[in-house]
Amino acid sequence: MVDLNRGTLVSRALRQSWRTHHPNACLLTREQLDSVAPLLYESGAAGLGWWRIRDTEFRDTPSGELLHQAFRLLALRARAHETEIENLFRLFREANVEVSLVKGWAIARCYSEPALRPYGDIDLLVRPSDFDAAARVLQSEDARNYFTDLHLQMFELADRSIEEVFSRSQLVQCGAERVRVLAVEDHLALLAIHLLKHAAWRPLWLCDIGMLLDTMSDDFDWDICLGRDKRRANWILSVAGIAHALLGAEINDGSVAHQARQVPDWLVARVLKNWETPFAHLQAPLKHSAPIRSYFRHPPGLLKDLARRWPDPILATVTVNGIFGKRQRMRYQFGNWLLRAARLATTGGVN
Amino acid sequence: MKTNHRQQKPLARKEGLVIKELPDELLIYDTETDRAHCLNETAAFVWQRCDGRKSLAEITRELSRKATAKLDDKIVWLALDQLSRNRLLIDPAPPPTRQGINRRDMVRALGLTAAVAVPVVASIVAPRPAEAASCLPGGAQCGASVQCCSNLCNDGVCAST
Repeated sequence: MVDLNRGTLVSRALRQSWRTHHPNACLLTREQLDSVAPLLYESGAAGLGWWRIRDTEFRDTPSGELLHQAFRLLALRARAHETEIENLFRLFREANVEVSLVKGWAIARCYSEPALRPYGDIDLLVRPSDFDAAARVLQSEDARNYFTDLHLQMFELADRSIEEVFSRSQLVQCGAERVRVLAVEDHLALLAIHLLKHAAWRPLWLCDIGMLLDTMSDDFDWDICLGRDKRRANWILSVAGIAHALLGAEINDGSVAHQARQVPDWLVARVLKNWETPFAHLQAPLKHSAPIRSYFRHPPGLLKDLARRWPDPILATVTVNGIFGKRQRMRYQFGNWLLRAARLATTGGVN
Repeated sequence: MKTNHRQQKPLARKEGLVIKELPDELLIYDTETDRAHCLNETAAFVWQRCDGRKSLAEITRELSRKATAKLDDKIVWLALDQLSRNRLLIDPAPPPTRQGINRRDMVRALGLTAAVAVPVVASIVAPRPAEAASCLPGGAQCGASVQCCSNLCNDGVCAST
C-alpha cells in the first residue's frame, strides 16, 4: 500500500479536505500519511492535511502533530495577513484608488478557515487610470513593507476586459474595511488558468478549484466563467475535470460536469506525477542547471540540459495556446521547444 | 498574604501580539520575541479575563462557574505563572510558585480536584510551512515568461519586478 506513487497519496490526503465534515475515514494508512506529510508541509497544503485528519485516529500521530502545528502557524499568519490587507485597503480608500484583490485572501476567505489557504504576497488588479496612484500608495511609508504585486492585466484574464472584471467584482468585509474582490466566476477562471500556467505542481491550487466548485451558489454563471475563448474554456473545464477526478470535487451543472469529465487521462496522470515533487525548485522548468546562453561558452553538459528543458506538457499546451485533448500534447511540447529556441536565437537569451 | 494574592488584578499584554481564536484553543504570536504560543481552553479563559479590573478571586469564580464546580485559586495561579513566563502579562505579580509553593505540588493538587483541563501555554515549534507563491520572484530560474511575477523570463532567470 505504501508503494502507491506519492502523487496519488497526495491526492488521497487532500480529497475533499476543504470540507468542514469528513464522513469518510482517511484514505491513507498511517505509513502513507507519514510519507506524504512532508509533501503537504512543503507545498502549502499542511493546513488542509490537518483539516482532513483532525477527526481521525491520525491526529495524535507524529505526522498529525506536525500538520497540526503547521495549521496553528498558518492560522496566526492568516490573521496577520488580514490585518495587512485591512490596512492596505484603508490606505487605498483614503487615496480614493480602486483596486481589486486577486487570489490570496480573496480565496482564503472562501474556505471554512482562512488558515487552510496560505499565501505569500498580495496580488492587486488596477485599472490603467489608477495605476500611478495605486503605485504611490504602495510606495508610501505605511505600505512599503507589504509584499504586494500590482497588475494592470493578468495573463489568466486576457480574454475579458478589465472594465468587465471590475464591473462584476464585489465588496466584502475584511475587519473594518471593505475589500474589493473578483466575482467568483472570474476568480475560478483565473485560478484554473493560473494552475495550468504553473504546470499544476502545487496541490493547494487544485484544492482552491475543488473548494470553489463545491461551494458555488446556484446562480453561478458558467458562461461568464468559461468566457468567449473556446481554448480557455477548454482549459477551465479541464481543470474542473482534474479537481473532480483527483479531489472528489462536485460540479453542480450537469452539462459542465459532463464536459469536465472528458479531461484526458494523460493530463490527470501528469498532475499526479508533478505532485510527486511539489517543490518549486524541483519543477521541470526550474531545475535547469544553468541559463542556456552559458553553454555558448561552455558547451559540456548542453545536451543533458537540453533534455531537461523538454517542456512539461501542461505548461507547453498553455504557452502555445493549445487545447487539452487526447493526442496533441507532443506537438505542443515541440512547438514550445521551438518557440523558445527561436526566441533564444533572435533575442540572444530572452526566453 | 493569601488575601493579597486573591485581590491582585492581572493585566494581559496586548501590544505586539497577533491573536487568533480557534474553537478549542487560542493562538498568540509575539512579534517582539518572534515566538508563537498555543493556550489551551483554560489558559485562554484566564488570559482573556486579565483586564486589570478583575481580581484573581473573581477570575477563579468565573472559571468555577464555567466548569460548574468549585475550583481552587491554584488553577488560575498556574495559568498566570505560565502566561507570565511567556511574557503575556504586563508586570505580573509573582505567583505562589515563586513564593515557596512547589509547582509540582500545585499540579498534583489540581490533578486531584480539577474539573477543567490543567492550563497549558505551549510553544508552537515547527519549521516554517510553505505558502503558495503565485509566481516566481526576480532572480528565480524560469522556463517561460508567464511563470515570472515580472512576466519576463530573461535568459532562464526571472527579471525583477
